[in-house]
This record gives sequence, structure tokens and C-alpha cells, in this order.
Amino acid sequence: MSLSVLFTVALTEQDILKRLMSQRDRVSAAAWLVVRNAHTAEDIFQNVALKAMTKGTQFESGGALMSWAFITARREGIDWLRRQKNAPVCLDDTILELLEHEWADAAAAQGGIRGQALRDCLEELPAKSRDLLKRRYFDGHACEEVAAQLGAGLDAVYKRLSRLHQSLRTCIETKLTQPAG
Amino acid sequence: MTSNEDQNELLLRYLDGSLDPSDQAMVGDLLRGDAGARAFLRGVAEQAVVVADVERIDRHKPQPAKVVAPEFHPWKWAVAAAAALVFLAAFVIASIPPGHVAKVSAILGPCQYIAADGKVQNEVKAGTVLRVGDTIRTRSSSTWVKLALNDGSVMTIAGRSRLRLLNVDGRRGVQLAYGNLWATVAKQGRVKPVSIQTPTATIETSTAQFDLEVHPTTSILRVNDGFVNVERLADGQTADVAADHQAVISISRNRQFAVIRQPKPVNDWNCHLLAGPGAVIGNWLPSNEKNSVRLGAKPLLIGKKTTIYAANFSVQCSGSPAVLIEDGSKVRVTGNTQTENPIYLGLTTQRIKGGFFGKYIAKVGAEALGQAGETWQVEMPLSQFEPKTEHLPDLPIGMELTDIWVFSPEESAKLEIHRVEFLSKEVGQ
Repeated sequence: MSLSVLFTVALTEQDILKRLMSQRDRVSAAAWLVVRNAHTAEDIFQNVALKAMTKGTQFESGGALMSWAFITARREGIDWLRRQKNAPVCLDDTILELLEHEWADAAAAQGGIRGQALRDCLEELPAKSRDLLKRRYFDGHACEEVAAQLGAGLDAVYKRLSRLHQSLRTCIETKLTQPAG
Repeated sequence: MTSNEDQNELLLRYLDGSLDPSDQAMVGDLLRGDAGARAFLRGVAEQAVVVADVERIDRHKPQPAKVVAPEFHPWKWAVAAAAALVFLAAFVIASIPPGHVAKVSAILGPCQYIAADGKVQNEVKAGTVLRVGDTIRTRSSSTWVKLALNDGSVMTIAGRSRLRLLNVDGRRGVQLAYGNLWATVAKQGRVKPVSIQTPTATIETSTAQFDLEVHPTTSILRVNDGFVNVERLADGQTADVAADHQAVISISRNRQFAVIRQPKPVNDWNCHLLAGPGAVIGNWLPSNEKNSVRLGAKPLLIGKKTTIYAANFSVQCSGSPAVLIEDGSKVRVTGNTQTENPIYLGLTTQRIKGGFFGKYIAKVGAEALGQAGETWQVEMPLSQFEPKTEHLPDLPIGMELTDIWVFSPEESAKLEIHRVEFLSKEVGQ
């Protein structure tokens, strides 16, 4: 038996960064589920990346790194929530773990291609739909505020958002199943 | 509506925070038992962060120039002139910005909000909206506030700072009376430039990333990205400061007003108290037989019935190049206290050529200070500092040092500082 089989080689800094960057959307999304603010979620991802590079922790596999990244992002999100007043109610830990587990599995299977498919699908959206998503997730307005801005009913905004999310999911799946080229 | 659509809307209402506790419990049960609901939720979360990412990138893309070769027939000129007038009127109306606003997106430490009508609020929460005329003050060395402007720009003030929103000739005006500001100014559509007033300068930009340190007689500007125009108020001189350059804008016309390239960063720093300008908070005390340089801590009221006694030392004000923090760096402070109480050391850090990063603090126990009244020297390794915000990394390695602050919560300690140094890691460490 060779030595390389006996000893697991830790990921290099380059491996860590490459792996984290390829899963940036998922780790940020996991943080977003806790904090519900896309800019804070991005800050949390950056902190997770910085911690992975500077804390001296060794990761023996990509899976171990991603598992650590999801847990760290969740903890940072919860810490951030604790410091906020009027913070949203956080999902139960067991549910967050379940979601992270599913994310980690999907991440291993699909790498970063899902993120690119999503970006392509967003490009194809009509301007009105993209504007709705921007108001809700980039500007961070609650649906009630978005409804007031657009002069629409609250129920209608929820319905439009729900269908928009569903159509983006369908678009991503279609793109992922299409042959490359 | 199908059952799935009902579920999805319920989940969106949950994410929006608009469900009552019983419906929230229902969402919990749904997510535990239904893989489809979890997949939808994961999808929404991914889409939310990617939407924000795509918008951020779009705002930083250069706008392609459109070249149009008009072919006007003479009979069209009259129509065109009328249309131009209408367009011009519409443009002028559209260009007048609605009173710009800034939303507090994150906050740490004691702050004060003073509304334009004079109402004072000593507790400021994330989500507070500042309108033209409103003021926000960060009241302690360890405080910071992040503000999101309605055009996507982001500003952070930290330490003892005072910022007010102004309406300057239709620009998005901000007054920084004193303190530190880190800004990323985004250009969105036809929004007017940002104009920042300090006691010594007017600073204008349409798109840039920069930091600004302001004191009553000096403003120090460092531009990391984009382009900033500066006017020295003392004599009306103006200069353009491009990326990687800096300028010191003094109240005195005798001080040179020059834009220079930012010097290469260093790994250690001595505040040179004798030279004066590096100490930005504190009271100079007369020399005594033991020490020729003595900076007494200044009382700072940081909240109702809470006073600390602090001295603050700024890297930029001392005239030093940027100081990089590395693994193994140390802070060495020499001083004196009259009681056997702990003191605290703090570091303000920023990203290299970027925005505000965070604050770190270390407690120096009374036992490390020796006998009351005797001069002490404390050497605090970087590893002993703790982040003030929990989502910061444990250590600010690779960041840039903005300032060092020292404080005691006790007036009777009569804290005084004689020397402040930031030491690079030892050779072989």
C-alpha cells in the first residue's frame, strides 16, 4: 500500500479557495436563509472564505470543507441575527441542517454550473420580472413595500414572485439537461 | 391555485416575516416533511443571492457609448426642437433628486440619531432611515455604522464620527464633521454626484471607492478606485485624486496641497507622539521628571451615564504609509494608571484598498500593569485581540490598521499614554 493511501492530503489554500468560490451561491444562499438579506449573506460568505484561509484549519476533503462552510455561515448568520432588533424568526436548526445537507449533495454533483444556468435564466427574464426580483432581493424591500411601490395588491405580489421563482427553477433544470454547445 | 402554489406562497410569506406563530409552526412541519418544499426554499435563496449579485455587477459595468448618426430632413427640425424642449424639461425634472436617504444597514455600539427637526434618539436600530437634515453620531472608539444610500452606494462611519445628510445644489450631499468614513459610491442612471463636506474640503465623486479621515483642521482622503475631485476650502484650490492616490487637505494655506501616489504599505508603526498629529483623541499633559511625552485619556460620554476615558492614535494622521497587519504582529503601549484596574486596547481595521473591515479589542488585566502609579509597558500579541463583531474572522490578518485606541472605564485611573507602537512579527517567528 502506498503512503498516499495511508495519509490523507489536506486541501491547499488554492484548493480551498477554488472550491469555495465554485459553491459561493450555495453558501451565500444558506446564509441568506438565516439573515434574509443578500448583502449580509455576501459579507458572511466573504468572512467564511477568509476564515477558511486564515484560521489554520485543515480540510481533508472538499466535502469536509463544504460541511464546515455551511455550518460556519449558519453560525455567523445566527450571530448577526442576535445583534439585530426586529430580526426575522430563524428556521429551526434541524431544518437548516437538512437544507444544508441537500445543498452539499447537490453541490458535489453539479459544481458551479447551476449558478451559471441561473444567471443565464435571469438574463432572459422580462424587464418587469427582473425589476420585481431586484426590488425584493437587491433593494431588500418586504413584499408589502414592493406592492405599494408597484401599486399592486400584496397577494398579487406573492403570486407573481412565487410563479417567477418556479419558472426560474424550471428554466435552470431545462438548461442543465440541454446538451452543451 | 394548485396545492404547490399555496405552499410556495406560504414559504414566501414566511421569508417575508409576515406569518403569525401558528403559521410559522406549519412552515416548520412542512419543511421537515416535504422535500419539494425544501427544494423550492433552496431555489428561492439561491435566486435571491444571485439576483443581488447580478445587480451589483451591472452597477459596476461601464456603460457602452451609443453613437447615433442623425439624418434630419429640414421639415423635421421644428418637430425636433419642440421634442428637445419637452425632453429637456423632463430631464431637468427627472434630474432633481428626491431628497436622498440613507438606511442604517448594520450597527455596532453606541450611536445617536438627531433628526432634522432636532429630535434626539439615543438608540439607533438597523433599518433606521436618515433623510436630508438628519445626523448620525457614532459615540465610541469601538462603534461603527453602515449606511446604504438609495442609489446602491454604501458608507460606513466608525469611531467618533458625525455624519449629516445635506442637499447640496441638488447633489447627494453628506457632511462629515469629524471621524472616519469609508465609501463606495455607485453611479446609477442620472443620479447626481455625491458631495461630501468636511471642515476643510469639499469632495465630489460620481463613482469611487475611498476612505476619508476628518479632523477640525485636516481631512485625509485616499482613493482606491474611481476618481474624486477635491476642493480645499481655505483657498479654493481643486485637484483630482485618482485611484491609488491620496491627498491631505489642511485648513492652512501654508500646508502643501498635493495629490500623491499612496506609499507602499509597511508592517510596523510608531505613532511618534512627539510629532503630534497621530494622537487624535486625548489631552496633552505637561511633561514630568519621568516622561516628556504624556497624552491623557479624554472623557467620552458614550451613552446615558456611561463615560470612558480614551486616547486614540491614527495611522494616517501620523503621516505613516498604510500599515499591514500580519500573523505575529503586536501592539506595544507604554503608559501610566493611578489605580489597579484593567485597561482595553483596540484596533480599527480596513480592507487593503477597500472599505471598513472591523474592530478588535483586547483586555489588559490589572496584573499586567503592575503597581498603580508606576509606568508600565504592555506588549499585546495580535492573537489576544478579539473581534467586536462576531461574524468577523478571529484575527484581522492581511488587513490594514486604521487606528489604535486605549481606554479605561475608570476616571480615577487617570490613564495616560507615553508611546504607542505596532510591531511586525519577529524574524523567524
